[in-house]
Amino acid sequence: MSDAAGKSYSYYPGCSLKSSSMEFDISFQAVAAALGIGLDEIHDWNCCGASPAPHHRVESLGVLLSARNLHIAGATHDAVVAPCAGCYNRLKTAQFKLAGDEELREQTGEVLGAEVRYEAEVLNIVQMLNREISPEALAEKAQGRLEGVKLAPYYGCLLTRPADILKFDNPRDPRSMEPLLGATGAETPFFAFKTECCGSYMGLPRKEIVLTASRRIIEVAVSSGFDALVTACPLCHQNLDLRQPQINKAFGTELRLPVLYFSQAIGLGLGIPPEELGIDALAVAPDLDRWKVGAA
Amino acid sequence: MIELTKTLEDGRELVAEIERRTGQNLAACYQCGTCTSTCTANMAFDYPPHVMIRMLQLGMVDQVMSSHTAQLCYDCMTCSSRCPVRIDVADVIETAKNMADERGLPEPERALRLFRKLFLRNVSRHGRLHEASLLFWYNVKSGTLFNDMSLVPLILRKKKVHIHPTRIRNRREIRRIFSVVKNYPRLKK
Repeated sequence: MSDAAGKSYSYYPGCSLKSSSMEFDISFQAVAAALGIGLDEIHDWNCCGASPAPHHRVESLGVLLSARNLHIAGATHDAVVAPCAGCYNRLKTAQFKLAGDEELREQTGEVLGAEVRYEAEVLNIVQMLNREISPEALAEKAQGRLEGVKLAPYYGCLLTRPADILKFDNPRDPRSMEPLLGATGAETPFFAFKTECCGSYMGLPRKEIVLTASRRIIEVAVSSGFDALVTACPLCHQNLDLRQPQINKAFGTELRLPVLYFSQAIGLGLGIPPEELGIDALAVAPDLDRWKVGAA
Repeated sequence: MIELTKTLEDGRELVAEIERRTGQNLAACYQCGTCTSTCTANMAFDYPPHVMIRMLQLGMVDQVMSSHTAQLCYDCMTCSSRCPVRIDVADVIETAKNMADERGLPEPERALRLFRKLFLRNVSRHGRLHEASLLFWYNVKSGTLFNDMSLVPLILRKKKVHIHPTRIRNRREIRRIFSVVKNYPRLKK
């Protein structure tokens, strides 16, 4: 069932996918395998520095950390895929700054002990899957498996912003997830909070910000009649799924909205068994019986 | 009372530095308030985003750098994506925060800064983030021992945590990166 025989990407999982969001890693690998795509993990990769590492125009810690990953990936591959929106954002930002700053390239080269390779194409998971399977091909495999399910594509921040660096999708009204999600048979009507921030990394130090911001996203999705949110960001997922019981406790609400990773939704569409997609690792479980998954 | 004339003179140079580092023209802001109306963190800010920009126009850099807003903004960039005169508001605020860090200004939002420092120390040691030890050290050092303990049974049951850190092989290179770059949030020795 290979669509692109022999094709392989350099794979940057990042820290979250190897621990608290391991179901993102599991489901992405399962989908890639089902599509016949090879994923070669970057050898000895390091953390991108995420939000705490300064990464703005003249700061370089975030750039150097990501440059090392790009450099290693570039030795063996033309393209690297980073499913985590944060990792993707940092790789793209590092690449953008390295491309435009010779002094930074020299500094980076000195640290790495070689001229820095920074030109490998950096792709997020939505981009990469859009490239590897067309909605028509997916629809054929999916046979309307997720028919009757309303999925809210939730993009958050780091997948599309800043648009001038990422050059991926419209930062105010992104739509790249919809065609493939729709191909599973699911409905994906407009979700008004698709780019609203979940509260980012404030979960430990300023929890009330995260709980308030994430609660609004979930409540808007529920009141719009959605059955689940779909995200491509581990931090969004942590705030919306893992912290949903905290939200309920803090506000006396009784929210129960599943939050799927993009790869889990596509995997369900492809007919991959839920246990191979890490569905049981979600804090809020989707009602798969009602979703008729695996029936086809 | 703000002594406007004096503030203007003192601040002009630092405002110029923020404009240089961000490549932004702050004079273009006409205070429409779009940044503030789209901001998810504004509820916790002391100065809303459009006021931060106004204060910079007036040369009030010290107040901007030592504000809670500068520390609290988590850079979701919604404001920047919606500004009608295309000012990268998030970048301006983030830069003010970095400049405050570099100058060792008094620390509003101590808990948040502690989190950033511990996060980066964790990465500098292992090459990757080890979530369990970050949670442990944050709770110990911030004195909030039970923070997020409600998540622990769930995380254990779902096997989402590693007790031991996964360390990369070439940690020397990571140490070199952290030693070359000086301006990041660090714990005092």
